[in-house]
Amino acid sequence: MSAATDDRTESIRMIRDSAGAVAPRGGDSKRVRALRFASPGFDRAVFAEMGALGWFGLAVSEDAGGAGLGLSEAVALAEEIGAGLAPEPLVPAMLSARLLAAGDDAALLAAALAGETVVLTAWQERADTLAAPGTPDAPRVFIPMAAGADTFLLPVREANRIALHALPAAGADLTLEKAMDGGTIGTLRADLSRTTRVADDVGAVLEQALDEAALATAGLMLGLMERAFDMTLGYLRTRQQFGRIIGTFQSLQHRAADLKVHIALTRAAVEAAAAVLDSGATGAVRQAAVSKAKHRAAESGMLVLRQCIQLHGGIGYTDEYDVGLYLRRGMVIMNQYGSATLHRRRFMALAPEDVE
Amino acid sequence: MVAITPNEPQDLNLLDDETFRTHVRRWIESNYPAELRNPPKRLHWDENKPWYFKLAEKGWLCPGWPRQFGGLGLSPAKQIIFTEEIERHGCARTNDHGIVMVGPLLINHGTAEQQQEFLPKILSGEHIWCQGYSEPNAGSDLAALRTEAVLDGDTYIVNGQKIWTTLAMDANWCFLLVRTDKNAKKQEGISFLLVDMATPGITVKPIINLEYHDEFCEVFFDNVRVPARNLVGTPNRGWDMAKALLSFERIYLGSPRLSAYAFARLRQLAERMGVWEEAAFQESYGRLRMDLEDLKSLYGSFVDKLRRGETLGPDVSMLKLFQTELFQRITDTMLEIAGENAGLLEPMEGNRNLNPTGQYIQARPATIYGGSNEIQRNILSKNVLGLPG
Repeated sequence: MSAATDDRTESIRMIRDSAGAVAPRGGDSKRVRALRFASPGFDRAVFAEMGALGWFGLAVSEDAGGAGLGLSEAVALAEEIGAGLAPEPLVPAMLSARLLAAGDDAALLAAALAGETVVLTAWQERADTLAAPGTPDAPRVFIPMAAGADTFLLPVREANRIALHALPAAGADLTLEKAMDGGTIGTLRADLSRTTRVADDVGAVLEQALDEAALATAGLMLGLMERAFDMTLGYLRTRQQFGRIIGTFQSLQHRAADLKVHIALTRAAVEAAAAVLDSGATGAVRQAAVSKAKHRAAESGMLVLRQCIQLHGGIGYTDEYDVGLYLRRGMVIMNQYGSATLHRRRFMALAPEDVE
Repeated sequence: MVAITPNEPQDLNLLDDETFRTHVRRWIESNYPAELRNPPKRLHWDENKPWYFKLAEKGWLCPGWPRQFGGLGLSPAKQIIFTEEIERHGCARTNDHGIVMVGPLLINHGTAEQQQEFLPKILSGEHIWCQGYSEPNAGSDLAALRTEAVLDGDTYIVNGQKIWTTLAMDANWCFLLVRTDKNAKKQEGISFLLVDMATPGITVKPIINLEYHDEFCEVFFDNVRVPARNLVGTPNRGWDMAKALLSFERIYLGSPRLSAYAFARLRQLAERMGVWEEAAFQESYGRLRMDLEDLKSLYGSFVDKLRRGETLGPDVSMLKLFQTELFQRITDTMLEIAGENAGLLEPMEGNRNLNPTGQYIQARPATIYGGSNEIQRNILSKNVLGLPG
C-alpha cells in the first residue's frame, strides 16, 4: 500500500473513533429519544462538540479553516453518525461551511465551522431536486432541523450568477413541520430586505456542495442500514419460536443473506464515489458517481430498513423498540438531496455506457 | 522442486501497470482468433486449442503459476489486469482445469515427481484435464460423494460415477475426489486422485443440456486401476485442498463480464424491437444499469483485496449471488421484449448479437453451478452473518 493510502486509512480510522465517542453506534438511544419532538430536536452542545472536532469543515481546505480532508473521510463520519442516530444536522452544516468558505464573511465561517452558530442553507424551492435556482422571492422549503437554525444561507440569482445571502433566524418568517424522526422541517420566506450578502457567486461551489451532501447522506443511510441489520441479526440469534431460535429457519437466513448483499453493494458504491470525488473529479464524472451512490443507498437502504421491521415481527412495529428509529430516520433522509429516481435518471443521462 | 524454463523470458511484474495492460491488450488483439470472440457456447477442445497453443507458446498460459514451474509468476495486481484484458476482448474460456485447478493443486500439495510429470504437460497442451467432483447424489452436498477408491497393493481400485463433468469428452486426464475412508466423518474420508482417462473401465457419456449443447458429461468408473502414486497430498485430506481451490471459482463467477455482455446485447435487442425509446423499457433498463454499475463497484472492492495480497473470505459468495441473478434478470428482460422471437431456437436474423433465447438459456445454470445460490445464501448466513445452524 502506498503512503498516501496508509494516511487515508489512518485518518478514516481516527474519524470513526472520534465519531464513536460523540454518537456511539446504537449505544445512546435514550439521548436520541429524549430529543425527539422537543425543540429544536437536537442538542446544541453536541452540535458544538462536532464543530470543535472539525467535522463540518472536514472537506473544507485548511486555508479556509477546514481540515483539508476529503469525501472518503466525510462518508465514513456520516456512516458512524447514521449508525449512532445522532439528530444533529451534520450534513447541512457541512454544506453551509462549504458555501461560506467561498465567501467573504470570515467571522460567520469561523462560527459555523466551530459549531457555535447553527447555519443552515435554504437552497431548495421544490421537492426532490438538486437544483438551486436561487429565485429571489421563492419560499425555501424542506430545510432540515430548521427549528435549531441561528442563520440561514440563501442562494439568490442575479443575472448570470448566484449570490449568497445570510438571513438571521431570529425574526425570520419560518414555518415548521414535525419530521417522522422527531426533528423539524422548515419553510422559509425569502425576505431579502433582512439579508446580508456573504458571497458574490456560489453557483459552481453550490453544485459541488450539493453533490457532496448527497454523497454524505448516502453515508448516513449506510450507517442506518448496517446498524439496524446488526440489531436484527442479534434478534434472529436469540428469539425463540416453535422451540427453536428463529435464526435457524432457512427462509429467514436467506432473507438476511440478501440484505447483506444490499449492504455490501451500498458500501461499494458509496466508497467508490468518495474515491472518485477525492481524485478531483468534476462535472459529469462527479455527478454520475454521486448519483450511483445515492441511488443505491436510497433503494437498498429502505429495503433493508423495512425488512428489519418485518424480521422483528410485532416488536419491530412498536415505538418502544429501537429498530423503528432507524426506519423513521431513513424515511427522513431517503429523498434528501435527490430521490433514487432522480439520481437514476441523472446517472442515465450523464454516464456513457461501455460499448462492447 | 522442479525447474521449468519459462517461455516468457522477461519478468512482466517489472512493467508498470499501464504498460503491462497495453502490452497484454496488443498481444491479445493480434493473436486471438476474431471469429471466436464472445462465443455463444462453451468451446470444445478442437475449437479452442489454437488459442491454448498460442498462449502456451508465448508462455502466458499460466499467469498465476510461479516462474520456476513455467508460469508467469504475476503479482495479484498484474493477474487481475491480465484477466480483465482477456475478458474485455471476449476471449473464450479454454479447457482450463489443468491451469487453474491441477497446477495450483500440485504446486501446493504435489510431490516433486508429480510436479515433474504433470506440470510440463499442462503447459504443452498434451494433458487436458477435467474435474471429477459432483455425483448424482452429491451435488450441492458435495461432501456426500460416494465414488470410492480402495487400495490394493500399490494401486487404487476406483468405482462410482461422476456427473456434470465439464468437457470430459475433450479431456485425457481427470482429477477426482474419491472416498478413501467410509468410516470417517464425511469431509474427512475424501482424497484427491489423478486419473488417466484412457484407463480401462472409464466410460464418458455426454449430457445434452437446455442449450442443446454437450458441455457436461457423466463419467463412469468400473474397477478402474489408478497407481497409488497418483494420490495428491495426504490421504483423506482431499476436502480441505478442494475447498481452497474453489476460492478462485467464487471470484470468477462473480465477475461482471457475463452481465455486462448481456446488458450490451439487451440494448441492441431493444433497438431492433423498437422499444428502446419506451418509458417502461427505459425504467427497467435504468434499474438494470444501476445494478450492473454497483456490481462492478462491489467486484472492484474484492479485487482490491486481492491486489493488496489478502485472501478472500466467505463473503465473496455475495458476488456470485448478485452477478448471476442480475445476469438472469437481464435475460428475463430480453425475453419480455422479444415478442414471439422468445420462442426461437437460433439467434434472430442470423445475428449473434440478437440472441435473446440463447442468452436466456445460458443464464439458467449460472445460479446452479459453482455451489447453487441457495448454498451461497447458506454460506453467507452461517459463515458471514453468524446465524445458528
